[in-house]
Amino acid sequence: MGLSQPDTTTAAPPTGGTRKRRMLHLKTKEECRLGNETIQVWTVELPSKHAEGILKVIKEQIEGQDNIDLQHLRRFAKPKYLPQHVIGKRDLVKEMYAVPRGWESTPPTVIQASSASWEWSSGSARKRGADRSLTLYLLVCPSNVIQLRGLHDLMLQYPPFCSSADSWAYPLEIKEVTVPRLAPTSPEQADQWSDEYWPTFYRKTNPFGAHPTSIGKAEADLEDPISDNVSVSAMMELAEQAGTATEKLGYGISTGCVIVERADDQTEIIAVAGDARGKSLPSEGGSDDANIDTSFEDAGDKKTGGAFAKKTARKKRKKKEQQIAKLAEVNACTSGNVMCHAVMRAIGMVGRKRLRVASQPISTRAAKAESGFYAAGLQRDEKARDAFFLDLPVTPLEQQYFTRDNLKPDGYLCLKLEIFLTHEPCMMCSMALVHSRVGRVIFKHRMPQTGGLTAERVRNDSGPVGLGYGLCWRKELNWQFMCWEYTAFKYASGSARQYTDGKTSAAGHVARRTGATAGVQGKAMDRNGKAYYGGENDDEDDDAKDDADDHPKHTTTTATATSSAAPGDENANSRMHSLAHVHV
Amino acid sequence: MVFGPIPDREYHEGFMRKAIEMAEMALSSDETPVGCVFVHAGEVIGRGINGTNASLNGTRHAEFVALAEIMAEHPSSILRETDLYVTVEPCIMCASALRQYGIRAVYFGCLNDRFGGCGGVMTVHSDPAVDAPYPVYGGLFREEAIMLLRKFYVQENAKAPDPKPKKNRELKTEILPISTPNVATPGGSTPTIEKGRPALPILEKAALVAKAQLKQ
Ligand SMILES: [Zn+2]
Ligand SMILES: [Zn+2]
Repeated sequence: MGLSQPDTTTAAPPTGGTRKRRMLHLKTKEECRLGNETIQVWTVELPSKHAEGILKVIKEQIEGQDNIDLQHLRRFAKPKYLPQHVIGKRDLVKEMYAVPRGWESTPPTVIQASSASWEWSSGSARKRGADRSLTLYLLVCPSNVIQLRGLHDLMLQYPPFCSSADSWAYPLEIKEVTVPRLAPTSPEQADQWSDEYWPTFYRKTNPFGAHPTSIGKAEADLEDPISDNVSVSAMMELAEQAGTATEKLGYGISTGCVIVERADDQTEIIAVAGDARGKSLPSEGGSDDANIDTSFEDAGDKKTGGAFAKKTARKKRKKKEQQIAKLAEVNACTSGNVMCHAVMRAIGMVGRKRLRVASQPISTRAAKAESGFYAAGLQRDEKARDAFFLDLPVTPLEQQYFTRDNLKPDGYLCLKLEIFLTHEPCMMCSMALVHSRVGRVIFKHRMPQTGGLTAERVRNDSGPVGLGYGLCWRKELNWQFMCWEYTAFKYASGSARQYTDGKTSAAGHVARRTGATAGVQGKAMDRNGKAYYGGENDDEDDDAKDDADDHPKHTTTTATATSSAAPGDENANSRMHSLAHVHV
Repeated sequence: MVFGPIPDREYHEGFMRKAIEMAEMALSSDETPVGCVFVHAGEVIGRGINGTNASLNGTRHAEFVALAEIMAEHPSSILRETDLYVTVEPCIMCASALRQYGIRAVYFGCLNDRFGGCGGVMTVHSDPAVDAPYPVYGGLFREEAIMLLRKFYVQENAKAPDPKPKKNRELKTEILPISTPNVATPGGSTPTIEKGRPALPILEKAALVAKAQLKQ
């Protein structure tokens, strides 16, 4: 039975010191849009002394000119700050009057004579740029707000474009140029856009995500903890231990969650939970309470004297393994008890702890609500409810943190708490984090086919990286939080691949890690009639031991493809499925 | 787009009536008036109201409370032959959970235009994903579902230590006509205008739903 066997094909997990990982702040859904979203706008060139006058005309006369927020773009730009292709753009007014009029074409001599004085004789084809420092380009408005002809006719009514007795009209040229639709999120981006499109401001704010200063502060908190604060690597290791603990007991897959309260330079670990989707419900023949089950550990680990004791232990273990196998079969047609994803369990534990440390008024209110349930006949079986939600500890590790009354009393849900996850959570868990008003989330492995937090859909041509929901920061929802991927160094730094690890067997690792989820992928294929391919497959040369589970080599997703990974385990084939398809 | 026609509407209204009764009960005990029932083979196997106040857990939605009742006696696989009737469209979290559990179909009253996962804000029930999609049918006793939320909101405001201006404490009885941005039924035809119900412009900005859900 490979379900809970220790991994023999890979080395022990590296210690925190050797991890080549960094926090990579996730882009928000809107930030992802920014890269390619542009808009067409009208521009006119005019002498700077007329700039304010014409702007006033535009503001007063062009309806809807400010409906689209273009505050990140300079309204007036000096020609020398404009990209050459903008200055050289076709004049659409000329094009509008497509009748060829020979005398309007500019004599070549004038074009070449950059310092030539104004040639009255050249008529309306007066050379621009004779003294460009005195002219400005005005960004009029998005070109879908007013038609070219309408704008042309409007401009001709006002100086400097109208003729009047005492001056020649300044020749009206209208150009349509492409500009970034949304504000840049970094000074580098602003510089790049200024070079490519139009002078662009970076305002040190980010309307599409967390403020850069907050991100910086959070990263400092997490990566360089001061005093007794905890580090991201330490919390990530704890989350992994939590997942390993429940997996060993056959309760679920090896994903884990740690919830931390950080206040006044003090950090408290509030809840630790592993995935327990496979722990049987009372209705499925499981024990009817959520007590900590140590029988498996006893059987395996305890040094008991005598052959008899060993034999009993073996028997006990065998029986347990059979139970787990049966469970895996049951779960083959479902995703197990979805409610027992690590995130849901950990959030539930926070609620339990809040009840325990609540002041009188809060606990009275909660008790009243609870009694309402009884009155309605809704809470008939508390034990069954606890077994379903499993918001009580099921391993000694979980227990150790659950029993501490270390949560500040009378806080609201998981407001401002920090969440550390081995894997990117599914949509259910991601939205649960939103509902719970969490402060910061850090996960280690992206789940490109099931994760709910990543907004990016592609990155560096490496293929699909996520579903694109980006639930951590959606304006449509009433809560946003900062979120990081605790990723391999090369992504965070943007550097090329630096590390290789030829010793490890990614496929073998997958086989071990996903044994408990047998059938999940099979279901996905059955129901949808096709196989899904997912995961980042460009990452396995880097820190492969850690990444293999979410970056399997997706040669195919059938069982046989990975069967060679664990020779000697005759039952392994049927369970060799990729974690990539699993909701975490 | 409006809510599509529901075949055998009266049959489903019978169960939605039970969900409404749950929501009414929630209202009388100061919980957000969202109620639901799960129905298997014509029989209610689970009922739920919001459990946030009792658990101090913001994820304890009516759907989950009902699922706990179901799974005290049934394996989770029963959900594949089970339908959900809920007064307000399931949120994104619940919509995803229901899909992972393999729910057969979801019937709801009014849209949840703040958190809805079945068309209100997102379409978690039908987006491409590893689990099979499920069909959703909206609009059963929609007006009643909205009125319950409004009553709750007015009631909460009146109790607040610093009551909001009077207009927020008045119970508005006018209900805007049906509308829904994008409730798509997977594999189904484009939902059409229901017989006897005129198609009207999209007006449903159920701030009420939003505000009520906010308090969860
Ligand atoms: Zn999950
Ligand atoms: Zn919900």
